[in-house]
Amino acid sequence: MASEMSLAGRRRVQLALLLAPVTLFFAVFFLGPLAIMIVTSLLAPGLYGGVEWTYYPHNYGRILGFADPAFEVFDPVYLSIFLRSLKIAGFTVIATMVVCYPAAFCIARLSERWRNFCLFLITLPFFTSLIVRLFIWVLILRQTGIVNEALLATGVITRPLELIYTDGAIVLGMVYIFIPFMFMPIYASVEKLDWTLVRASLDLGAGPVRTFVRIILPLTAPGIAGGAIIVFIPALGNFVVPAVLGGAKVMMLGNLIEQQFLSARNWPFGSALAMMVMSVMLVLLFIHVVASGRRGADATN
Amino acid sequence: MKITRFLFRGGLIAYTMLFFAFIYIPLVLIAVYSFNSNPVNMMTWSGFTTEWYAQVLGFKTTISENALYIESTDQLVQAVWNSLIIATSTTIIATVFGTAIAIALYRFAFFGKRFYRTVMFMPMLMPDIVLGIALLIFFVNSGITLGLKTIIIGQCTFLISYVFIVVSARLAGMDRTLENASADLGANEWVTFRKVVFPQLLPGIIGGALLAFIISMDDLVITYFIAGVDVTTLPMFIFAMLRRGIKPEINAIAVMMLTFSFVVASLGLYLRSRQK
Repeated sequence: MASEMSLAGRRRVQLALLLAPVTLFFAVFFLGPLAIMIVTSLLAPGLYGGVEWTYYPHNYGRILGFADPAFEVFDPVYLSIFLRSLKIAGFTVIATMVVCYPAAFCIARLSERWRNFCLFLITLPFFTSLIVRLFIWVLILRQTGIVNEALLATGVITRPLELIYTDGAIVLGMVYIFIPFMFMPIYASVEKLDWTLVRASLDLGAGPVRTFVRIILPLTAPGIAGGAIIVFIPALGNFVVPAVLGGAKVMMLGNLIEQQFLSARNWPFGSALAMMVMSVMLVLLFIHVVASGRRGADATN
Repeated sequence: MKITRFLFRGGLIAYTMLFFAFIYIPLVLIAVYSFNSNPVNMMTWSGFTTEWYAQVLGFKTTISENALYIESTDQLVQAVWNSLIIATSTTIIATVFGTAIAIALYRFAFFGKRFYRTVMFMPMLMPDIVLGIALLIFFVNSGITLGLKTIIIGQCTFLISYVFIVVSARLAGMDRTLENASADLGANEWVTFRKVVFPQLLPGIIGGALLAFIISMDDLVITYFIAGVDVTTLPMFIFAMLRRGIKPEINAIAVMMLTFSFVVASLGLYLRSRQK
């Protein structure tokens, strides 16, 4: 028995036992791989998919405009894929917001029973297979899909519309899978909303639009910002949605990264692309932390 | 009253109903069309059949005369099997690790606690693809052959975080006075943990484990990068099928997967609502 050990000593042993396995696991299989990826992004690509151990900033250069002069002239194709991914992720955020925001208001005002039921219905799809939910949209949107068949049958159109394999299809697919991510933070801030302020504004003669812009919107801004970040980050690096709904024509960062790893076998370049995704994420998180810190300071002042 | 009028004047209820229709109509559609007998165009109704389900479940059907289908059914069974092996292993590992770290961070004050907290949230925030390729580079560089083992390790990195969050939430809501009472009444730490803390914590641990299981069964991106050439999981199988061209039995597979996760998730959410 370890009964001679002091209480503090025993605590230390307990803590070590709890922490050691997880620490080891995360150091080796999480932080380690991330560090290796960062290093790889700065190495020269070797022949046949290997790396050469020399410092090589041109992986980033191929994206940002200082490509290796020994091999190629700078081609803005990667930059345009990067910008296009930012654009699609941005549209996804806006569309998800438009879909979720009014619904959050309606649900927040329901009786508790109905509210819980609605929240259950919204979270449920999060637990179902992502690939299955995307696959359904393929069936709906493709040339011989439900929408086209229905429109053809009713005579609205004579030739099938090109719905799938477009930017719009990607945004639609992303909105569909990210709804719970956006809804929950918005709902949390709407639920906390102080309705007496809204009532006061209406009583004092402000119109609905003015009340919304001056009272409701600022008070629910933290939820909107939170939702925007947790939708934007996975949307930016997503490769499943463009692969399924975007076809070969529409490429996003995620597809480009996949291609570098699984077919082009230029791992350093692929790592550099992944680092671009990571840096966007870090910038967003940084802005979020600073902004919410300032809001907190404002609130206490 | 004024507020309610203000809110509902704009047809907010109608909007919310459309919102739910947007979420659920596609799911209903696939359930209906999974019984469509049309083998060429899945979206043109030509009669009711349960053959696709029979086909997927390995019964003899009129379709199974086609050799191509039989082969893909074998692959499907193998993929389901792989997914179950992976999900079971990852759930056990992630639950143990995630619970341990949650208890450590809740119970003890120590240097670097904030760092731990940040690191625990990182795998959930990071885009899947980044973690996927980081693990791929790591495994290949350290000479570990890609396969079931690497998938299990890779999935654990983010599943631990999910379990950690669920168990932490449970710990935060626990009544510490019971522990003090137990200690006052002379129980030693181990007995207190086993008889007082653990039973209170158990629903959180079960919830975390269920969540880990479902997410593991569903993970595509990270698994896709570290699976290697020989191992296919269920989501990977469907993903490959979508890229190759869609066959009608995929509807039946999809509906069975949806049903499975609906049941497990409903069970988990029901258990959680019961505790309150």
